[in-house]
Amino acid sequence: MTTIFVCEDSLDGILTGVYEAWDSRLGHENVRLQTEAEGTLELFCQYRPVRRDLEKAEKVLRTVRRRMGEKAREAVCYAAACTDERKADAIYRLIVLGLSMADGTKAVDCLQNPAVLLVEKLRYKAWHEAERMLGFLRFEELENGVLYARMEPPYAVLPLIAPHFADRLYQENWIIHDLRRGQAAIHRAGGGWFLTEAEALSALEKESRSGTEQEFQKLWQAFCSSIAIEERRNPRCQQNLLPLRFRPYMTEFGADRSRTVLN
Amino acid sequence: MQHTRIPEQLPVMEKLKILSDAAKYDVACTSSGTSRGNNGKGIGNCFDAGICHSFAADGRCISLLKILFTNECICNCRYCLNRSSNDVPRATFTPDEICELVMGFYRRNYIEGLFLSSGILNSPDYTMELLYQTLRKLRTEYHFGGYIHVKAIPGADPALIEKTGFLADRMSVNLELPTAEGLRRLAPAKTREKILRPMRQVQNRMEENRNELALYRSAPRFVPAGQSTQMIIGATPESDFQILSVAESLYQRFDLKRVFYSAFVRVNDDSALPALPGGPPLLREHRLYQADWLLRFYGFEAGELLSEARPNLNVLFDPKCDWALRHLEEFPVEINRASYQTLLRVPGIGVKSAQRIVKARRLGSLDFPDLKRIGVVLKRALYFITCRGKTLYPVKIEEDYITRNLLYVKEKLPPQLQGDVTYQQLSLFDDGMPLSFGEQAGLLAAEGQELLTAGADAGGAGRFV
Repeated sequence: MTTIFVCEDSLDGILTGVYEAWDSRLGHENVRLQTEAEGTLELFCQYRPVRRDLEKAEKVLRTVRRRMGEKAREAVCYAAACTDERKADAIYRLIVLGLSMADGTKAVDCLQNPAVLLVEKLRYKAWHEAERMLGFLRFEELENGVLYARMEPPYAVLPLIAPHFADRLYQENWIIHDLRRGQAAIHRAGGGWFLTEAEALSALEKESRSGTEQEFQKLWQAFCSSIAIEERRNPRCQQNLLPLRFRPYMTEFGADRSRTVLN
Repeated sequence: MQHTRIPEQLPVMEKLKILSDAAKYDVACTSSGTSRGNNGKGIGNCFDAGICHSFAADGRCISLLKILFTNECICNCRYCLNRSSNDVPRATFTPDEICELVMGFYRRNYIEGLFLSSGILNSPDYTMELLYQTLRKLRTEYHFGGYIHVKAIPGADPALIEKTGFLADRMSVNLELPTAEGLRRLAPAKTREKILRPMRQVQNRMEENRNELALYRSAPRFVPAGQSTQMIIGATPESDFQILSVAESLYQRFDLKRVFYSAFVRVNDDSALPALPGGPPLLREHRLYQADWLLRFYGFEAGELLSEARPNLNVLFDPKCDWALRHLEEFPVEINRASYQTLLRVPGIGVKSAQRIVKARRLGSLDFPDLKRIGVVLKRALYFITCRGKTLYPVKIEEDYITRNLLYVKEKLPPQLQGDVTYQQLSLFDDGMPLSFGEQAGLLAAEGQELLTAGADAGGAGRFV
């Protein structure tokens, strides 16, 4: 009988699931991993809920790093940010494969293996999303000088992009708010960043912006419209590269102009 | 010639509008090539692959704040919007205004850095000095650690160019037009020698800097992201072969990072400029970029793609497909054995798929479904490859046959090119009838299974090779 380990939909949750599934000694072919609240329940299998345990997750990630290399660690982190329902099991299979090989760093290259390929594809998806978010995120300056950004990404990319901004805007206080997940990354000037639940932040959305904020927004909007060459106008191309879903929070498209192209 | 003089105290908004509008014909807006962490004192870092922050209505990426320092120019190049004889509003930034703009935009994550170009105010030296002052202020007073791309002004003092290069990430000198002859006709104030001199200087200095860095890891870095250039396509009658040869020699002899091609936009009504009733030659520009990629990443040479006898790129096919069709003697290649370099030359296989193939086949032999999952564009590649000695389905390695089939599933072409594609008269009993789209899709879906029968059913297209 198959035992299904149901884990929390987060990197730590999945990694704890990997630990528990392995530790259960049921045999790799008899266990499966699943993230919470997905799909219909199956007959003839046993469900076992897994409680997130940071220590176990940390152990697994460290092992992946040591035995399978930095690339595998990154692939696991990025793939876990996606919304695919097969991701937890694919990550488990990748780790099983990697730890069974003499040279575990080769595991991520075995693209014939469906699980490895899936992890690679998910990694790419999440990486692509995170990379776009690095560019499309827009900060607004609040009255107290704090920079505040909102986003609604389909995948949980906030922890993936926060280190980039922590380095870039090292001397600034900033907050990145993931409205979809109710999470926020908060950074203190000259210090580190941390992830937190963002219930208390909903007031920030309406808080007034600093005096120069409006001015810079206007300048940026003017720049964006004058930099386009009229003879080469190509809204299709623009929309391929910058899909509409990003635009509501982007300054140059503005709240009222969110669904229209720049002109 | 009368200039529209605008009062000195123009608001920044007006200046930004005028000077970004004037800068928009510069192509390069890349922010790649440098990887640098925050310096701890100020703001900014650099991301190796570059980051696009927005896309303008023409579909071009906005990565840097692309502006001219001034559009008051003493030159009268015929193709240029800011030529001295044009009656356009003129403006000049001050270094402080630029710094404030960059910092304000950068903090809000609008931009990756600054792209500073300029018209020539008073003299090349004077202008270069202004650019240097701006960069110095930005780097030392505002502690800006983001990306800076700056133009080297041809004819400026080499000492100034060198000083500026230590503050910038990338430097570029515009080649403007592909040949010296074109330059003489359209930009009489500029000569080829004058343009190539700073380019050579930057190259030599970068070379020296590499040695310095080998000795002292913390030596100041000179133009770490390399130099680039751009040329205007379609304003003068050069052929694609000439253009690509120029680009190739720039890559080889001047060690350039990028050559940009800019489809000519007719902004001035000048008798020396060609009329372009169909708009700017965008498809030609696109093909040139494709060929450029082949030069840089695929190991092709300009002489392989084009020749004196065939001076222009095929508009219907991308240059690699075109090359493959003319070199069918080298195909089909066996996926499980061919070298990386050979794989790169197969249409439908790019750098990424080729790398994945080489990696994956070490751990087991590959078949067509594997290729599809790896990301090979099978509808294009299937005519040129075998897996374990078999083609996907029976195809003829024959130019006409492949050409027709490829055109059937072709990438989107502009409307004026669609429809009039007849490579060969079809006869009723022609056994090389192109497959219809449905048939092709059916075949691709049935890959691997019953190859032989599928081929025979497909409108008689099947022939064993």
